[in-house]
Amino acid sequence: MKICQVERPLVSTNRIPGFEHKNLQVVRDGSTQQVAVDAVGCMPGDWVICVGSSAAREAAGSKEYPSDLTIVGIIDHWPPETGAAGSGGAG
Amino acid sequence: MEIRQVVGSLVCTHRIAGLGHWDLRLLQDTKGKHYVATDPVDARPGDWVFVVSGSAARYAMGDAGILTDLTIGGIIDRWEEERAAAVEPTSATSATTARAA
Repeated sequence: MKICQVERPLVSTNRIPGFEHKNLQVVRDGSTQQVAVDAVGCMPGDWVICVGSSAAREAAGSKEYPSDLTIVGIIDHWPPETGAAGSGGAG
Repeated sequence: MEIRQVVGSLVCTHRIAGLGHWDLRLLQDTKGKHYVATDPVDARPGDWVFVVSGSAARYAMGDAGILTDLTIGGIIDRWEEERAAAVEPTSATSATTARAA
């Protein structure tokens, strides 16, 4: 699984039927953007965990669902302390 | 899934039976690298699309017997305007960083 940040919803009216009406989100993993099926209902700015490969298909609904990246959870607190490495979070 | 732009069609008459007669599109990422994908949604040159890769690409064709590893999943309604507005979450992150520092 990998950690990504949700950027915004991706609107695609003309899509293959296999995707049904599930929400798609543009997520950022470091410097690369990807599109993920949203199985949990997240908001822009949320940090999420995403699964790939065959787990992504099943996580999105069924083994035949054509997803290669599915959001499976919203991280409660992330990043814990972004600047903490340098400044020491205790203060 | 990745976001790509359609730059044209690819004619490939001599092909394996496993590809069927599906349209092939030539795609390009933001760095100019080219990809070929099967296209069940009839995308046009200039369209921004998202693509499904790996084994999910076969399911995206609606038939796991189609031997593709990259399929166009849908045409993105708006892309350029949204990309311009996309800076918000990352600026929120840097604001957190600034507070921490």
